[in-house]
Order: sequence, then structure tokens, then C-alpha cells
Amino acid sequence: MLKSLNFAEFRQKARQAIEQRVRIITAGLSIAELRALLRGEPPTEKPNPRYRVHVTSFLFHIRPKFYMRGSTIFTHTFRLGFFTMFFFVVELMTGLILMIYYTPSPSEAYGSILNLMSNVPYGKLLRDLHRLGAEGMVIFTALHMLRTYLTGSYKKERSFTWLTGVVLLLVTLFLSFSGYLLPWDQLAYWAVTIGTSMADAAPLFGKELNLLLRGAPDIGAGGLLRFYLLHVILLPLLAIWMISIHYYKVAREHGISLPAKFEEDDLPKDVVKEAKRRVDYLPDLFTHELFLTSLGLFVLVVLTAFFYSAPLENIANPQQTPLDTKAPWYFWWLQGMLKLGDKTLMGIILPTLIFGLLFAVPYIDRNPYRQAYKRPIAVALGLLATLAILTLSYMGLPEYGIETPAAARIIQDLAPEEGLGELRAVPFEQLRPGFYQVNVDEPANLCPELDFGCPDLEAVFAEFSERVNRAAEAGQLPDVEAVLVIEEWQADLVKVTPRIVWSDPETGVQKSYERHIFLHRDRDRDE
Amino acid sequence: MRVQLQIFLGTLLLAVTGVILVVVGFTEEERMARFERYQKAQAIEVGAALFEINCRGCHGLRGEGIPGLAPPLNDAYFFTERLNEVGWQGSLEDYIIATVSTGRQVSTRPDRYPGAGTPAMPTWSDRFGGPLRDDQIEAIAAFILNWETTAVNGVELATLPAPAQESDDPVARGQAVFEANGCVGCHTIEGVSSGTVGPNLTKIGETAAERVDGLTAEEYLRESILTPSAYVVEGYDDLMPKNFGDTIPADDLADLLAFLLAQK
Ligand code: HEC
Ligand code: HEC
Ligand code: HEM
Repeated sequence: MLKSLNFAEFRQKARQAIEQRVRIITAGLSIAELRALLRGEPPTEKPNPRYRVHVTSFLFHIRPKFYMRGSTIFTHTFRLGFFTMFFFVVELMTGLILMIYYTPSPSEAYGSILNLMSNVPYGKLLRDLHRLGAEGMVIFTALHMLRTYLTGSYKKERSFTWLTGVVLLLVTLFLSFSGYLLPWDQLAYWAVTIGTSMADAAPLFGKELNLLLRGAPDIGAGGLLRFYLLHVILLPLLAIWMISIHYYKVAREHGISLPAKFEEDDLPKDVVKEAKRRVDYLPDLFTHELFLTSLGLFVLVVLTAFFYSAPLENIANPQQTPLDTKAPWYFWWLQGMLKLGDKTLMGIILPTLIFGLLFAVPYIDRNPYRQAYKRPIAVALGLLATLAILTLSYMGLPEYGIETPAAARIIQDLAPEEGLGELRAVPFEQLRPGFYQVNVDEPANLCPELDFGCPDLEAVFAEFSERVNRAAEAGQLPDVEAVLVIEEWQADLVKVTPRIVWSDPETGVQKSYERHIFLHRDRDRDE
Repeated sequence: MRVQLQIFLGTLLLAVTGVILVVVGFTEEERMARFERYQKAQAIEVGAALFEINCRGCHGLRGEGIPGLAPPLNDAYFFTERLNEVGWQGSLEDYIIATVSTGRQVSTRPDRYPGAGTPAMPTWSDRFGGPLRDDQIEAIAAFILNWETTAVNGVELATLPAPAQESDDPVARGQAVFEANGCVGCHTIEGVSSGTVGPNLTKIGETAAERVDGLTAEEYLRESILTPSAYVVEGYDDLMPKNFGDTIPADDLADLLAFLLAQK
């Protein structure tokens, strides 16, 4: 039996079988061809099997066959569109896993995040990736838009690409915003309460729209479920649909635009010809994309593993409005606008106009040229708009334009209701019980019994003293007396009471403001 | 050549990324444990703040209890004996959560605390009409349980001398006395407290003079506080603690009376 087995023949058969399998999996590429591909060698067969792949394989069918050399120049696209897509895929992957651990109900949601952080290996990393990826996607989408605007790539046949792009910008913003609510912490709850209350100001159907979003007059179980479904089903599907159209226009119809100088300047023929030379998808664009993907993954993992922690505040409390409520940063501009006028005008009508204008950019701008110096007004307007967005964002910060009474402001900055603040950053050992009076106790040598003193506590006390005195000089806090009380409250727990007593500048009545902050030893203050 | 360089770099980056992930994986166990400690610490902090807002009126600022009003929660008895006394099978944490959630309609020690006919402690869970969510009650339980070390080992935490609140207004000082001695747990004064065991004192400055013939408002109030049984307001039981004469110094008592007389 054994003797009759022809070994050479068997090997050949096996090789054939493997070859056949590989060709099926790679949609027609042989092993030798694969190797040549990765090495950057010319195709091994005729006709070029690398083109056939674009017909036989779905995934390659939706990729471009080639781009022109000039349009792949790095400083033309900065690969911004590619990285936007990269972040979107990262969000899909991490989001799918997060869904396993998440329960969309007010009583469970926050707990499920805590559980993710304390019981799921890589749980924190996943959450950080998903959060950072979301921020990355918003940033890169905006930059990508800015780039296509400045290179004039939205003109003529690419008008529709731009249009789908603006839809994608909206979808990206709403994706991010709808995800914001899901951890059900104070930050999320109040940002979204404010956000949806904007819908309330819409003319005609504002009340109904708000109700539709929240599912009830206040955000509760219904609202959370609605945001969850928006976040995991409707908006991702919409994004996939729109990206497909957007990318189809780029990859299969128009290609990436050539840098304008190759089309508009009188460059030597051979330079233009070189710029228009084809760069094939396989292998050049493909390997480049692989490289960019590994680079992106590397940077993301390094950032999340060592530097970035997604914020998680206290559990949402509808009864307690935090002193400073803040929209996510990509909506600060809107918050800034709201400070300038009434809700309907600034929150609904103007933003609608702005996005309407964005949609219409290719149809308003009839200037046929794309180079910056040939369209100075468009470029100036673009830069001006960018500046306006940045300024408005600055004005959107809670520090800007909202008058918080001086005493409350000082104590809030020292120990914010949500987030870390300087006081919470003081190591537990340095929180020595005591009665530290501003202008009576020097902010130095406060804890002689500690070997290394308590520099962080002293710094906090110095800051407190200084701000109280500054406010007193400015006339906001006449006859001020301020004190920082630290009491041992339980084993490993201290109670810190910053208290400011002053007489009201107008009525002369004595007023006082204080906050009780409990700090536990195990509360890891490094994270 | 360029293609190969990208493949090489890409592979290198992926490998490094993989190594980072493995390293992170090795520290995950510790990270999760750390987060759990952090989470518990945070619950204690949150619970401490909630206790101060909701419970100190009856159970005292530091859980030391108020005689005649509510039992201590920070003493060794509570941590070692109490479960046997009431015959509770589960853990102390469960006992606290269950008691606080549902409140206590009938006192288990009516001789010492209110709760014969009137509820001893209101319900707290919003499932039963109370003001607190379950996660908040769990946080309070974590805070109460954190008294165990000091209670069982008999550790006395140093308390600071009361912050010198130099107010020259006796009414303001009197309010502080009113808040510090548990009166707030039983009496309502609009804007100050919301207890329901004893009469509403919002207008006591007016009614005090008419209570007992021959006693001025101030004399009546002094008597009500020092010897509450001498005159029991109609519709109420004689539940007010009888030892304020021992616990409230004379100066404070004068301020307290000024404060009560000002309630008109
Ligand atoms: C109106 C006064 C009052 C308030 C406010 C109050 N309690 Fe009580 N509590 C009582 C009384 C009275 C008892 C004891 C009843 C008894 O002896 O059965 C009690 C009992 C308890 C017990 C059980 C103690 C034991 O030894 O069995 C716990 C735990 C407790 N309270 C926690 C709390 C917490 C936590 C809060 C704040 C959320 C609170 N209480 C607020 C009056 C109060
Ligand atoms: C355990 C609950 C409890 C506490 C604590 C308590 N009281 Fe009372 N108090 C009552 C009850 C019940 C009455 C009505 C029965 C009576 O008159 O003795 C009352 C009656 C009074 C009255 C008479 C009210 C009237 O309308 O005539 C005054 C005044 C009073 N309390 C003041 C105080 C002050 C001041 C404190 C704090 C030092 C205090 N109480 C603490 C339960 C309490
Ligand atoms: C989810 C968001 C988006 C994704 C994933 C995406 C993806 C891409 C990709 C991969 C390209 C190829 C060129 C490049 O890499 O730069 C591209 C081109 C383009 N995108 Fe987007 N894009 C998004 C949003 C937008 C937005 C917000 C706009 C503008 C409003 C926009 C307008 C354009 C235009 C005009 C082109 C053609 C550029 C050219 O031909 O030079 N895109 N997009």
C-alpha cells in the first residue's frame, strides 16, 4: 500500500491544490504573483492579473484601479480623507465590541461602563480607542473639508462629491454627539440636555422635535434608547451609505483631483505627462494604504495605552445641574453663538444657513480656477470662516461671558464639581487636618510634621489665597474672610471645606459660600 | 524599493503595536483591581456627601446618632451586635441598603427612638417614593460601612475645634445651634429644615406666647426645650429628647431662643 504512493506526484498535486485555493481566496492571484506584488516586482503573468482582481473581487472592485501620479502627492491630500475613513473603521470595530458590554438604560448604562473598566480585560483601552477615534474622526473630517476647499477640489464634476461630503460632516458630528450621551454621566447628560433643548427653539415644530429626540419632556429611558439606536444603527448606516457614494465618486468616477498647477499653469509637457502617469492600485496604492493603516493603528494604540483616558464623570443626576455645563468641543462654536443672541436665531436659523451655504459652495463659486492666487476671495473667505469658528469656539467656553459670583467661581475652579481640579490632585498624605486661614496662615511650611512637607497642598492654598485677595481688591468680596478646613472624616477619608465669607457690596449683608468635598485615599489621582 | 520600505516599516509598526498590546495585557489585571478600588473610593466620597445632605439631621453629622431621634451608625455595636439583635440573615451592607431603601415604619426600639405610630425613618429609594436612586443608596452604604475600622477598633478621629464662625448676630448663631443639635430632624422651619416628628416651628415666635397661660414666649420656649414633658403639644407624642439641658451650653441656649423667637 505504502510503496505504491508516488511521493513526487503527491507533492505536485498538493502544490496545485494549494495554488488553486490561494487563487480563489485572492481572486485570481497566484502565490508567485503575491510575492512579486509585495516585492514591488512587475506582474508574473499576462494579461496582468492585478487588473483582473478589480473585476473579480468585490473589495477590490470598490477601490480605484489607479490614481494619477500628481494627485497622490502627499501635500496635496495629506491623506486626510483616508484617515477619516480609517477612524470610521476603527469606530465600527471598537463600537461593535463595546456594544456587547453596554446596556442602554438609565439604571444600567453607567454601571455597564464601570463594569467595562473594572472587569473586562482591555476594556479601558477599547473605550479610550473608541473615544479618541471619535475625536480623531471629527478633526480629520473637518481638516479634510478644509483641504478640499483650499485646493478647489469641489469644482465642476466634483460638486456632488462635495455635497455628499457635507452630509458626511453632519453625520459625523451627530454620530459623535449621540455617542456622547451613552455613558450616562453628568457631562453627557447635561451636554445633551442643552443640545436637545436647542431643537426646542426651532420654529413651528420645535416642541415636537425636542419630544421626538428625548422621548419625553426630559431625557430619560426613552431618550437614552433613542440616542443609542441613532448611534448604533441609523447614523452608522447613513454614514456607510454616504461614504459609499462619496468614495465611489472619487475612486471610480473622477479620481482624486490633480494639484491645480498641473492643469492651470504652463508647465513643461513632460512634467505634466509625468503628473498624469498612472499609479496602479496594486501594488503601489495598496501597500501605501497598508502602511498608513499600520501607522494609524500604532499612533492610536500608543496614545490610548500611555497618554489618553476617556473622561467619565459622576453618574447623571437630573436633579443637579452642574455649575459649568459644556458641550463637546466640536460644538463650542455653537455654544459661543448662543451667547450672542436668542436660541431660535443663533441655535437654529443661523446654523441651518451656515450648513446651507456649505452645501451650496460649489454652486455659488463659479470661478473656474482652482489655484489659490486665482481665487483670492474664496480663499480669504475660507480662512475667515475658519477663524470665526475658532473665535466662536473660544467664546463658547464656560469661562467666557458667563458671570459666576466671585466666591463660587474661585471654589469651582479649585475643586470643580466634575473633573479633577487642583484640590483633587493633591496627594492624600498631604491633606493634613487643619484650619488654614487666608491672610493668617502663610502658604508655606503648612505640614512641618511631614518629612517632605506638603508642597501640593501649599500650592493649592496659595492659589486660593491669591484669588480671594485679587477678588477682594477688585471690590467683589469686601471684608473677606476665607478658610480652607480639612477634617479627618473616616478612616482614609477627609472632608475639605473651602469657605468664603464676605459682605455683599450692595446691601452690606454678610454672605458666605462653601463647598464640602470628600476625598478618599484610594481615589487614584494620577488617572 | 519604496514599496518594500513601506512594507518593512508597516510590519515593524504592527509588530511594535502588538508588543504594546501584549504588555498592556499583562498589566490589565492590576489595572482592573486599581479601578475597582478607585470606584469604591469614589462611592464613599459620593456617599459622604449624600449622607451629609439627607441623614445628618437625624443620625448626626458624623453618624454619632442623636439621642431620642436616631441611632448611631458609627459605633462598634452597630457593626458587631446589631444584626444579631434584629435577627438579620444577610450581610450588613444588605441590611443598610434594605433599611434605607424602604425606610422604617415602626421602630425596633420605640422606647428610645420615635416610630410608635409615626414612621421612624422615611423611605429613601425612589422605587418607594423616596428621593434617592439605588446607586446613591449603595454609595451611602459604602460610606457607612467605611466607619467599621474606626468603630471596631475604637479609634477616635480628632475633630477640629469648631471653626470660629464669628457672627455678631445671635439669631444667626442660634440657627447654627438649631442645626447642630438635631432639632432639624424633627422640626420644620421653612427654609431651614423639614422634620415632621414634632410641630412645625416656622411661626413659633408668635404661637409660643399663647401656649401656656402665665408663661411668656421666651419662658415657654425655654421650658419646651429643657423639660419637654411639662407641656406636650396636642396631637404629638412626648418624643422630644429630655437632656438638652445637659448638652446645650447656656450661651448657645440663649442664641437658640433668640433664633426661635425670631420665627414669625
Ligand atoms: C427622620 C429622621 C431620620 C432620618 C432623616 C434618617 N434616619 Fe435612619 N433611622 C432613623 C431612626 C429613628 C432609626 C431607628 C429606628 C429603629 O430603631 O428601628 C433609623 C435607622 C437607620 C438604620 C438602621 C440602624 C440600626 O441600628 O438598625 C440605618 C442604616 C439608617 N437609619 C440609615 C439612614 C440613612 C443612610 C439616612 C439618610 C439617607 C437616614 N438613616 C436618615 C431616623 C432617621
Ligand atoms: C426626637 C424628635 C425631636 C427633637 C430632636 C427635637 N424635638 Fe422639639 N418637639 C418634638 C415633639 C414630638 C414635640 C411635640 C411634643 C412636645 O411638645 O413635647 C416637640 C416640641 C417642641 C417645641 C414646642 C412646639 C410648640 O409648637 O409648642 C419646641 C419649641 C421645640 N420642640 C424645640 C426644639 C428644639 C429647639 C430642639 C433642638 C434643641 C428640638 N425641639 C429637638 C420632637 C423633637
Ligand atoms: C466621513 C467623512 C468622509 C470620508 C470618510 C471621506 C473620504 C474621502 C476620501 C478617502 C477621499 C479621497 C481623497 C483624500 O483622501 O483626500 C475624499 C475626497 C473628497 N472629499 Fe471626502 N470624506 C469625508 C468627508 C468629506 C467632507 C466633510 C467633505 C467636504 C464638505 C468632503 C469632500 C471631498 C471632496 C471634494 C473630495 C474630492 C477631493 C479631490 O478629488 O481632490 N469629504 N473623501
